[in-house]
Amino acid sequence: MDPMEAIRVTFFQECEELLAQLEEGLLAMEQGEHDAETINSVFRAVHSIKGGGGAFGLDPLVRFAHVFENLLDQIRGGVTEAGHEVIAALLRASDMLADHVSAARDGGTADEARSDAIAAALVALTEGEAHGGDEAAPAEFEGLSFTPMTVALDDEPAGAAQAAWIIRFKPHASLYNKANDAVLVLRELGSLGRIEVEVDAEAVPLLDAMDPEGAYLDWTVRLTGEADEAAVREVFSFVDEDCDLDIAAADAAPDAAIDLLSSLLAIGTAGAEAPPLLAPAIEDIIAAAPAGAPGKAETAPAKAAESAALPAPQTIRVDLERVDRLINLVGELVINQAMLAQRVMESSGAGQASDVNLALADLEHLTRGIQDSVMAIRAQPVKSVFQRMPRLVREVGEAVGKRVRLVTEGENTEVDKTVVERLSEPITHMIRNAIDHGLESPADREAAGKPAEGSVRLTAGHRSGRIVIEVSDDGKGVDRARVKAKAIEKGLIAADAVLTDEEIDNLIFLPGFSTAAAISDISGRGVGMDVVKKSVQALGGRISISSQPGQGSRFTMSLPLTLAVLDGMVVSVGDQTLVAPLTAIVESLKPRPEEVRPLGPDNFVLQIRDVYVPLIDIGQAMGFSRTRVDPTEGVALLVESEGAGRVALMVDNIQGQRQVVIKSLEANYRPTEGVAAATILGDGRVALILDIDGVVTANRRVANRRDPPAREPLARTGT
Amino acid sequence: MPAASSIRALVVDDQLTMRALVRAGLQQIGMTDIREAADGEAGLRVLLEKPAHLVVTDFNMPKLDGLGLLRAIRSHPPLRTTAVIMLTGRADAELVQRAVQYGVNNYLVKPFTVATLKEKIEAVFGQLT
Repeated sequence: MDPMEAIRVTFFQECEELLAQLEEGLLAMEQGEHDAETINSVFRAVHSIKGGGGAFGLDPLVRFAHVFENLLDQIRGGVTEAGHEVIAALLRASDMLADHVSAARDGGTADEARSDAIAAALVALTEGEAHGGDEAAPAEFEGLSFTPMTVALDDEPAGAAQAAWIIRFKPHASLYNKANDAVLVLRELGSLGRIEVEVDAEAVPLLDAMDPEGAYLDWTVRLTGEADEAAVREVFSFVDEDCDLDIAAADAAPDAAIDLLSSLLAIGTAGAEAPPLLAPAIEDIIAAAPAGAPGKAETAPAKAAESAALPAPQTIRVDLERVDRLINLVGELVINQAMLAQRVMESSGAGQASDVNLALADLEHLTRGIQDSVMAIRAQPVKSVFQRMPRLVREVGEAVGKRVRLVTEGENTEVDKTVVERLSEPITHMIRNAIDHGLESPADREAAGKPAEGSVRLTAGHRSGRIVIEVSDDGKGVDRARVKAKAIEKGLIAADAVLTDEEIDNLIFLPGFSTAAAISDISGRGVGMDVVKKSVQALGGRISISSQPGQGSRFTMSLPLTLAVLDGMVVSVGDQTLVAPLTAIVESLKPRPEEVRPLGPDNFVLQIRDVYVPLIDIGQAMGFSRTRVDPTEGVALLVESEGAGRVALMVDNIQGQRQVVIKSLEANYRPTEGVAAATILGDGRVALILDIDGVVTANRRVANRRDPPAREPLARTGT
Repeated sequence: MPAASSIRALVVDDQLTMRALVRAGLQQIGMTDIREAADGEAGLRVLLEKPAHLVVTDFNMPKLDGLGLLRAIRSHPPLRTTAVIMLTGRADAELVQRAVQYGVNNYLVKPFTVATLKEKIEAVFGQLT
């Protein structure tokens, strides 16, 4: 990639962070935080976006950011007060700036009319002519004189200036055998800087015990100079296989360095009381330092010392592809480990406490540890998704004329990156739904004795190895009478169906269900909660709703932490081994003859307690066997399918429950109906992972062709 | 005429993009020894570890800002020969004045071209080879 292009990519990545910082700061200001650091971080974010935008010639973005920055500068300077109205305008401006950034990234232009309107509003709030307000700001100032310098550094800079290395060098006999000489190595080391050499002759034996070709001496060298570690290693490049070598950075009086740093920081931060060692040089500076911030001056040195002593956590940016490759390899490792364990068990018999078995247990433990650590690399806080929601809430609230406050919790909860990326859609939809359908209008709320401002809560947390995300509102709750009427009208349930409250609430997840009397612009568009349910299920998750009339509703999503492994039920069908995702399985049972009823010539239903569910023979559905398994001989897995409610899947028997590593079938073969992915089992065989919904849908199509009217309305069979 | 390749530089800016841009500019001028720091405090730490001939620093940064870094540099005798060029986002005369008081060696208004960057550095060190 051309270097400018690479920097451009960096710029847009950084913009995301800056926009998040901007919004976070503005929201803090909205909550009444008006301290200098909050305001300055907001200013800095806009300023930095403008700066980068300028470098890439993104003129509309820069023009807009400039107006934005001017108002922020005045707020920072105390000229303009950040009242409610001003902050609302700033929030709108931050949304607009985000639009400018994404437009610039995608090579388009943002909505100019909107941009101009918001910019005009910002200008109106800005007092008089903001300083530096002109586009063509002079890049040169008159009458300044600068001191030229020479490229020179003081010879022996005080402080921890020069690198120092402690080198321990212990030649082996082989070094001398290859006609190398330790003296030559030491001499070369001396050419890198000043060396102090110490020799340890302790190991030299008495003459009668000495091997003339042996090596008994080892040296410790302290090297001070400009050389970096690579240069030091270079000296040993011919002998490093024939010696013990340890190169360590010498600790150049760390306490002194920290003291020096903190005293300099104190000077930089506030012109505080000068530390004695620098006294003569500093008086001028103190005189020149601006008065003010005396309180800050007192605390600064202590704070500085603290941060100097504790190095900040270091981070590196790594290409995602490398991480994915690592994850893939670890997946292979897990499979290999399982295979090895199975082989050993088969050959030595279970329960044998042999050394091999013990070592295997250790290996398993280590493998799990590696897997967890690698997964943790990909784990990301859900913050990136949560952060986008305040804007959504503002826009939706404005569009439907409702006042909404968004409360978020647990935004640092971590989950796999791929899961994070796919959370955005269902959460967005649930929040739209909560504002549009859940919350009442301000007038209705006041009439019901509630505050005019509605509240939507978005929370995330870990619960038993899964991430649970909840969206709740304090609105009117599900209007059950209307939901039921609608469901009957749409033919989703029978007119005389008797449903519990919970069952009625869950009807909203059925495909094609929409309760909005007039389809609104916000959550209409023919997308309902069924789409949310579908995207949650695609992630191996579940969603449910609970609702209290007049008190509000709560949607709860539970998702796996990663898409790389899956808890599965391993089953046999014919001569095949298949894996059914555990999350889809409600229960498993052995049907009794009287529970199986025929329905038409080829279909059966299974009576479970007092409901009938369709029975699907997996072997036939997947084409593994021509003949149908006698249901009373096999095992039925009662599964929750999307669209068809509960369905019983017939398999021959269950082998057990285990975690499997998911291998994409699409990437390695091609998408196949009824199969979600593949995995490799402990015995090395490939097993297909069932796509429950795919199997059910395919089976319904076949059944429909054969025998269209033979089905009961599905919801009746639901719980 | 100092050789650009003999100049050890430090770029201090809280923005990754800006650091990358300055670094690219310095490299184009012919510098090879370029270090980076994300704020004044980190910059100071880098300088104490190993001084630099040239510091190109942003003004507005968290922790220790550009003026603070400049003052710290000027107050520490071993760093006194370090040339400091201040990057400023706004053509802010007052800010530049203050930087001059503290002994800045030149300034650069963002966005800048490599030619301007070179010009400003040459105004400090003389023509580069």
